[in-house]
Amino acid sequence: MSERGRRTQLLQLAAGAVFLAVAVVLVLIVINASSSGDGGDTKIEGAAEVNQQLAGIPQRGMVLGDPAAPVELVEFADLQCPFCKAFAEEILPSIIENQVKNGEAKIAFHNFTIIGEQSLPAGAAALAAGAQGRGWNYVELFYRNQGTEDSGYADDAFLKAVAKGAGVKNISRWKKQRAEFTAEVEETTEEAQQLGFDGTPSFAIKGPNTDGLEPLGTPDSAGDLESAIEEAR
Amino acid sequence: MRSYPSEGNLRRAIAFLAALGIGIATYIAIEAAGGDAPRCLAGSTGCATVAKSSYSHVAGVNIAVFGIIGYALLLASAFFANDLARFGGFVVVLGGFGYSVFLTYVEIFKIEAICQWCVGSAVLMTILFALNAIRLTGYAGAEAGPLPDRA
Repeated sequence: MSERGRRTQLLQLAAGAVFLAVAVVLVLIVINASSSGDGGDTKIEGAAEVNQQLAGIPQRGMVLGDPAAPVELVEFADLQCPFCKAFAEEILPSIIENQVKNGEAKIAFHNFTIIGEQSLPAGAAALAAGAQGRGWNYVELFYRNQGTEDSGYADDAFLKAVAKGAGVKNISRWKKQRAEFTAEVEETTEEAQQLGFDGTPSFAIKGPNTDGLEPLGTPDSAGDLESAIEEAR
Repeated sequence: MRSYPSEGNLRRAIAFLAALGIGIATYIAIEAAGGDAPRCLAGSTGCATVAKSSYSHVAGVNIAVFGIIGYALLLASAFFANDLARFGGFVVVLGGFGYSVFLTYVEIFKIEAICQWCVGSAVLMTILFALNAIRLTGYAGAEAGPLPDRA
């Protein structure tokens, strides 16, 4: 083939490649514009129940309850942990109903990431929701929609869908703040290890009758937690 | 063909920019492998946000790894002055440039965070795309030329 013929053939192939590349990029953009990235196709359930459970209880950051409550219960948990979900659904509701709502105690949620690599961004997402006063809604709603442990379900779309469901108003700010809270997740994880915890959920308590923040471990029942709160008052 | 830069100069520029690209992509890949995100300048958190997003991986592989492969192929294409290298380099840079356009769209409209290293790579890909396009349109079909260091 002559030089001119080869040149013409190559330029025709290049033009075809450019056409194909433009088409692929456009298709990718169109697909992404209408799907997962914005969390729009991730179904989140239980938002109404969570709103009802937490209605009327003050939230500041990740602390649920009256800031002046004499006893602070600190929960160290991993949002991907199924035991934490069970605890949140079976044991904490009575504490919230009986001792948080009446101002005896407040509960602080601290991340203790032990499950997998998505636990860190999930924890930071909860803290970013807390910055908008929806931290506990985020945690409770995450648990209600928790997937199989460390299966990769807690991706950006899921985290965003939970944020929307939890009532985070400024999603754009929530997105930006998520990365800023990563360090805090790592700090509370270290705090849990320094307290001697090696599993989730673990609790610590601070009150007028405790010597600073005292580790409780994992109480067996709501009754045990209620007793610990009474003793700390 | 007189209006085009010499192919030797084009190949040298492509080799230099591809080497820079390998450096950027390798840095991002090393940080990601260590569980970290590349550090943005001026305290920006955009790099961490983008690195932790689902768009940072394709089929479970960090896109920086694909970047290293792409830049390495572009570097290799600069060492040969034949039609395979001209056309192959153009196809590789077309893929890289196209993905850079997509990633920039994603950063602005989906993740809403800008990773300065990704922008740096996108700028390199854009310049490399222009250089490879000039090389292909100017020298496609030409006889094999000398290596860059002898051009």
